[in-house]
Amino acid sequence: MWGTNLRILAVVLGTIGLYTLLANAIPQIESEVPEELSFTGDVSPEQLIEAGQELYEGAGGCTACHGLGTRAPNLLLAEADQGPIGARCGERVPGEDCKAYLHRSMVEPQAYVVEGFQPIMPDVSRTLSDAQIWSLIAYLQSQGGEVTVTAADLQASEDAGQDTAGGAAGAATGSATTDPIQLLAEMQCIACHRLGGEGQEVGPPFDGMGSRLSPEEIRTAILDPAASISAGYEQFAGVMPPNFGSRLTAAQLEALVGFLAARE
Amino acid sequence: MREYGSFPWIGSRTAVWIAAEVHLMFAAFVLGVPMFAVVAEAIGIFGRDERYDRLSKEFTRLLLIAYSATAMWGAVLVFFLTTLYPRFWAHMTEIFEVSMWIYVGLFFVESFTLYLYYYGWERWKSGRAKIGHWTLGILLNVWGTAVLFIADSWLTYMMSPPATVTPDTSPAMVQFWSAFANATWMPINIHRLIANVVFGGSVVAAYAGYRFLSARTDDERAHYDWMGYVGNFIAIGALIVLPFAGYYLGREIYEYNQQMGITMMGGFMSWLWIIQAFLIGVLFLAGNYYLWVGMGRIPGAERFLPYTKWMLLVLILGVIVWSTPHTMIADRAELEAMGGSHHPFLGVLGVMSAKNTAVNLMILTTFLSFLLYRRANRRPVVSWARSGTIVQGGLFVIAAAVVLFYGVYGYFVTAIVRIGFSVYQVLAVLATIVGVIAIDVAMLRGSESRGAIRWGQMPPRSQYALFVLVVTFTWLMGLMGFARSGIRQHWHVWEVMRDTSEWAATPALGYAAQIISVCVIIFLGLIAFIFWLGGLVEKPQLVPKSGDG
Repeated sequence: MWGTNLRILAVVLGTIGLYTLLANAIPQIESEVPEELSFTGDVSPEQLIEAGQELYEGAGGCTACHGLGTRAPNLLLAEADQGPIGARCGERVPGEDCKAYLHRSMVEPQAYVVEGFQPIMPDVSRTLSDAQIWSLIAYLQSQGGEVTVTAADLQASEDAGQDTAGGAAGAATGSATTDPIQLLAEMQCIACHRLGGEGQEVGPPFDGMGSRLSPEEIRTAILDPAASISAGYEQFAGVMPPNFGSRLTAAQLEALVGFLAARE
Repeated sequence: MREYGSFPWIGSRTAVWIAAEVHLMFAAFVLGVPMFAVVAEAIGIFGRDERYDRLSKEFTRLLLIAYSATAMWGAVLVFFLTTLYPRFWAHMTEIFEVSMWIYVGLFFVESFTLYLYYYGWERWKSGRAKIGHWTLGILLNVWGTAVLFIADSWLTYMMSPPATVTPDTSPAMVQFWSAFANATWMPINIHRLIANVVFGGSVVAAYAGYRFLSARTDDERAHYDWMGYVGNFIAIGALIVLPFAGYYLGREIYEYNQQMGITMMGGFMSWLWIIQAFLIGVLFLAGNYYLWVGMGRIPGAERFLPYTKWMLLVLILGVIVWSTPHTMIADRAELEAMGGSHHPFLGVLGVMSAKNTAVNLMILTTFLSFLLYRRANRRPVVSWARSGTIVQGGLFVIAAAVVLFYGVYGYFVTAIVRIGFSVYQVLAVLATIVGVIAIDVAMLRGSESRGAIRWGQMPPRSQYALFVLVVTFTWLMGLMGFARSGIRQHWHVWEVMRDTSEWAATPALGYAAQIISVCVIIFLGLIAFIFWLGGLVEKPQLVPKSGDG
């Protein structure tokens, strides 16, 4: 009987041991927490680059997509003879310099999606602080380009954040307009929804929306985009920012709902 | 309010991790076993086969004695959460307080239903009283499922809170139902329901394996051989459909948040799926091995034995393909060594086209093993037996062809089209399983026996396969728990409440494996002790030592 018990024990412990060894034999990757950064007014580009590189390769989680070059452009390698990201970032959008382009790519990633890739990039401002975002931009600029990020950029972001925090009536759009066309432009809606035959079709087109959805459904879709995903757009679920409820005033929201409901 | 407590030696995170995991293992057992206990009782009642009724009672006896351990570990978990993570727990209770009260109420109702169900077994054993007793078993499942669904809402809220909830949202302003029925709630419910059946079946089978090896009489050996077979049948049978529930869950995670999906499959957790593939490969191999060895006690099974080597070959090739790494995080030196982002040779096998094809063929092969086992000692008497068998064979060939066709075609289309192919592959396999079973049931009605199954005449080595199965299932449960919880990374509630404790970083797989192994040892050690105690109190009534199965 003891022999049987020992054999069973050996099989059980041997199996557990095998799995434990196997899991320890593969590459060990820990998911780190992005370290909170705090820079003074005399921060040097080198300090920003170093902090940005650490984030890019670690806790920022950037390499999960950008490291491979299959899900998102590989930022560290040359692309189409344009060099790595620091060299090509200034050429991406006419009239937008490298720093502005990279910043917008991070906080409004759907505004410009590189051809051949899906719009899967999240808004990094949901998980990273302004200092972390600017240090990432500095690191990316250093990959083949000139680093133009300075302490002034960090200070400007900080000031803007304070303005918003103490700002009026919660309207974070930057304007109090209730003109739906202007709102659609300010909120970058037409980057993903076609209107008047223009724009990309990452989400359902605004054209004809009033014949497909009731005003109540349109309101829900703006405030809680994950509540219902239109057929045919399932692969883009999660792309639409869920924070319009806090970015629009009630009047702005109703102006948009009324405008879209009238698109029949 | 203080944000975090401190636990000596192992730290708060590991303390909660172990408490949650061991509680979950016991909970999975006590929720899974009633499902097949009530089915076994129904077979006993409506099939007038008393063996199944006794088997069901023995399942329930194991359940009864595991129940208090589940509650104890649940209490440990709650106390750890309240003392070690008070800020997070306050957030959860403010949103979910009503469901927590209902949960506690259901726990009482479920416990007393279980007591009535078990202790009323002999009192209500015939006529309408027996149907009433069986109804208690059904109620037990209803309460258990409700308990599971409520607990799932809490943990899935942590993964996929409603998009309207932000770090600035007061918990009091969160709408209860939107938090409860969140994006991953139903996929987790379904996945766990099936997984609990798999897990419960494997624990019962291992229990039977132990009792078989320590049996002193042929009757005892026959009884536990049969019980082990039934437990393994339940575990592997439910395992076959589990990957489909897994796909559904994965798809919902991607739809909820692409970043979370990528973290899970292609980010820091990408290697975890290679380990998972290895473990599932072991499950398929051990489950099939047990069946093939079991054919040795079935008269007539020898005609099928030559096929087993080919089935083994398919399974091994399937495991190799499924375990092939592909989209892994690599540093620049590793990328240069590979000559690109993927290995030039292995990269071809590591893609989803190849992996989906491999796993679907493994499922078909395992189903074929079951079919041969079931047919081994039967001789159909219906006039259309030959045609029926040819149609069954044809269904297998068609399913394999569909799986292979879309597997190869997947290399020539874009990713978004390729993802859709897995649905066709799965549907082909499921349709074949349903169609073949339907034909088989009709064809074997009134069939002649080639001889009774010699229950108990099973080589001891077969029983060790049952131990490999239970360890692997338990370890896999721990691994998948780490995956589900770990993809939140440093968030208590994804992008709503950040983990600011010293344990916020999500550990690498090596450390996770050590904790999982500790949990598995604690669970298996405790459950072995509990079963041993139960055996001291009551001896089961043994079933006849032979039968047609």
